[in-house]
Formats: sequence, structure tokens, C-alpha cells
Amino acid sequence: MSYTRKLALRNYIVEIFLLVASLIIIVPLLIMIFGSFMTSSEVLRFKLALPDKWMFSNYTQVFKEGGLGRAFLNGLLITGVSSIVNIITSSAAAFILVRRESKLSSFLYMFFFMGLIAPMSIITTIRVVQWLGFYGSITSVIFIYAALNVAFSVFLYSGFIKSIPRALDEVAFLEGASMLAVFFRIITPLIVPVNATVAIMVFMSVWNDITIPLYFLTDSSDWTMPLSVYNFYGKYSRDWNLIFADLVMTSIPVLVLYLFAQKYIVSGLTAGAVKG
Amino acid sequence: MKTKSLYPYYLIWPALFIYCIFFVLPALIGLFYSFTDWRLDRETLKFIGLDNFQQIFSDKTLVLALKNTFIFAIVTVIGKNVLGIALAIGLNMRLKSKNLLRAIFYSPSILSVLVISIVFTPMLRTDGTINKFLEAIGLGVIGQSWLTDPTIVIWTVALVSIWQHTGFQMAIYLAGLQSISKEYYEAATIDGAGAWSTFSKITLPLLLPAININLMLTLIGGLKVFSEVFVLTGGGPGNASQVVGTIILRSFGEGSWGMGTAINTLLFAAVTVISIPLLIFMRRKEVAE
Repeated sequence: MSYTRKLALRNYIVEIFLLVASLIIIVPLLIMIFGSFMTSSEVLRFKLALPDKWMFSNYTQVFKEGGLGRAFLNGLLITGVSSIVNIITSSAAAFILVRRESKLSSFLYMFFFMGLIAPMSIITTIRVVQWLGFYGSITSVIFIYAALNVAFSVFLYSGFIKSIPRALDEVAFLEGASMLAVFFRIITPLIVPVNATVAIMVFMSVWNDITIPLYFLTDSSDWTMPLSVYNFYGKYSRDWNLIFADLVMTSIPVLVLYLFAQKYIVSGLTAGAVKG
Repeated sequence: MKTKSLYPYYLIWPALFIYCIFFVLPALIGLFYSFTDWRLDRETLKFIGLDNFQQIFSDKTLVLALKNTFIFAIVTVIGKNVLGIALAIGLNMRLKSKNLLRAIFYSPSILSVLVISIVFTPMLRTDGTINKFLEAIGLGVIGQSWLTDPTIVIWTVALVSIWQHTGFQMAIYLAGLQSISKEYYEAATIDGAGAWSTFSKITLPLLLPAININLMLTLIGGLKVFSEVFVLTGGGPGNASQVVGTIILRSFGEGSWGMGTAINTLLFAAVTVISIPLLIFMRRKEVAE
């Protein structure tokens, strides 16, 4: 057998193997999706099968009883604002940290980096938020998420900004541009891809999280979708069709975001994690 | 000196402020409170030195929670990275369906841990889909009481986490593989290198930056595990699958806050002691290549 034919054969074998392996991922997800359209007795077999009759009514029922409209808006508000706060503050900080090559800046970089390593201290964070007087509010959750993501964002931004030549901003300075003008007119347009990456990463982790709302959102009318789903799961533990419909609905926003923003995830990971 | 002043430090302040108030300050306060008998139902505080820590190590459930946390971290680090590299190498070949396959393997990692954990709950029952499937293909012997057998439950939770997140590690490895120049492989082929020596002498060393970041992310993420256990088992059966994260929730609920922060401090110490030397060690290897 010639070398190229051997290579082609090897690729076929790998491809078939990976296609079979991908079933391990697809089947549980399809059980959830098909199950969300079944009747409550049909779904209990938890088998991969198309529903006998497509019960779209599961979705309307869940949407009403699970209070998902409200939870969707809460999630959008919390996720949106904390992502924006995080993007603006982290990119500005990373820019200065990368450009100033002093002892202080490398200390501050390590100080931020520790945030990737250290676990959050939940009980005392509650204490601090109580002192500040907004425990239980959406505002507190927004700031906590912004703070929790500072480390990862600064890390990603630094990796990328290092690759932007210094000469670019120095020319602008020579022409008399101010610091803010340089940051917003030169750096910001160049880091749009990382902004997208950070936005997606922060959005996904915040949208999907249950830990922070569990501890910090004391009023159920402020809950985000996953926490409402968790609550619903506890209440409707018999109606798996409704639970599955609930799960599908809480997943749709991140799926839509992923479909639109796919390429930024990969390019951001390359720039930040692999080269950085 | 003059160029430095062009980049004023005040642009760091907003990030530093938010980070210090909502992350660093609680951590420091936590360090202080972990040496006290801080309780919800009492206003007065007393310094009790290392009592909390002594109590942690004499309490069987808490020791088990620490052990489970480490088992979970080690199993997921190995699983996510070995499978992640294998998938990335496979999907870096010229396959017709590679884009579809990449999307499929990546897809669970964009979903909430909550969603995946709930989906797996009925399938992992003793009479659930997974055991029925194993029986159908003649592997009924490896069927388990996945979530109710105390000896394996933490492993089950780790497997679910590997199932969900390996695709994310794969994506980082793929990005790493694509930054390796093809010339190295061409040279290796001309020299007649076999698959294994190509992998161990070219791919692995050049993939080190991606390996480093993935090891760090999976290790730290593993030690901080909470949601998977919370949703899949709630720490049960009994206390068999408690981890540090669920124990903190429990001590918060019981109002024993000093104890809760002490456990968190212990976790912080463990993560730092393990990850910082690892980080330094790997950075050095990376530079040496």
C-alpha cells in the first residue's frame, strides 16, 4: 500500500471512530430534547426515541408555571451589565499592566492572577455586601460576577495586547493624543476580537451559574433562569417532560450566542491562552 | 522614564477596586474569621486559634469531603486532558466531518452544569438508561448503582464532569495544535519517524503552553467543584459525595460561619500550595523548549 493510501485509510478509521464516539455526546442531549416534547408517561422510559405526538404545549406550560419570562430578563440584566463592566475595567487595566514594565505592574498582574487560583470566600462576601447595604439585590450579584471574572479577563487581554506593537500608541502620543484617546481610538478597535471572546466567556459562565444566585439572591423574583429551573426541578420531580422543556429553554440563549460567536471563542483562546 | 508616565495607573483603578472589594477583601476577612467561633446566632466573637482546623481534621465527614474534592480534581484533570488531547489530535486531521464533530464535542461545555446534571440524574439510576444500554451490548457486568453506591459516587460525578467539559479542553488543545508549524511534521516524516515518536518528540513539547493552561484550569476548577455535586447527589448518599463546596453551603445553612470560612481557608491553602509550584515548574519547562 502506498503512503498516501495508508494515510487515507488511517483517516477513515479515525473518522469512523470519532463519529461513533460522538454518539456518547449526542444521545443524552437528544433524550432531553425529544423528551421535552413527550407526554409525562412516555418520557419516563428515558430512551432515545421520537415522541409519539409532539407536545409543544409542554413549553408554554413550563414558561407560565416556571416563571421563566421574569427569570430570563433577570438573567439578561445580570449577565449583560456584569459582562460590560468586566470588559471595560479589565481591558483598561490589562492595557496599562502590559505597557508599563515596572515592578509595581508585574506585582499587580500577579495580584490579579491570584484571582484565577483563589477560591471565592462566599460567607464573608455576603458579610461585605451586607456592610455595603445591598445584600440580596441584583446589583450585588452584578458586582460579584464582575469581580470574579477580572482575573480571567485581565489574563486574556494581556496576552492579546502584548502582541499589539507599542509603536502604535507612541506615534499617537507624539501627535498629542491623550491617554484616553489612545485607549479608546487605537487600542479598543484592535481588541474587538478579545472583547468578543471575553463577552462570550463571561456571558456563558454567568448565565449558567447557580452558585451566586443561590447564596445572594434571597428573593425568588430576582432569580436567573438556571436557579428557577433548579427550583422547578424540585417541585415537578415527576414530570420529566416539563423538566426537560425547562432545561432546553434555559439553554437556548447560550446556544444562540454560541452559534453567532463561535469563531471568537477559538480565536480568543488561541490569542489569550495558547500564546499568552 | 517619560514613556512610562504616558500610561497612567488610574486606568487600573476601576478593575482593582471591584476586584479588591468583592474578592480580595472577603478573602482576607475570611482568613481572620477562620480563627474565630463566628456564628449566625451570636454577636460576640472569640478567637479560638486553630480549633476550627483541628475540628475539621477530627470530623469524619469533613475529612471525607476533603478527600472527595481531591479525588474529583485528580480524576477530572486526567480525564479531561488525556481525552482532550486525543480528540484534538483526531480532529486536527483531514476528516470530512471535522467541523461537525468539533461542534458536537464542544457543545455540552457551553451548557449549564445544572442542565447536564439534571439530564444525567435519571439515566444514572440503577434501572436507568446507562445500565440498560450496557446490558444490551453485553457489558451488563460493569453496570453500577452510579449515584447510590457510596464507594463510587464521587467517581460518577467526576465522569459526568469529564463528559461535559472535555470539549472545552479539546478546543484549547486544537488552538495549540494549529499554532504548530507543519514543517516539523514534514521533517519528521522524511526522517521516517513513527507515530509515537512524532507525538512525543514534536506534538507534546510544542503543545506545552496549551497543556499548562489546561492543567491549571482543570485542577483549580476541580478543587472548587460545587454545582455538579449539589445537583447530582446533594452530597449523598449519606455524606458519601460531600466536597468542600457542599460542606461550605451546609455550614452556611447551619449558621456555623467561622467553621465555613475555615474550610474555605483550607481549600485556598491547598489550591495555592499545589498550583503555584506546578505553575512555576511548567513555566520553566516551557521556556526550556
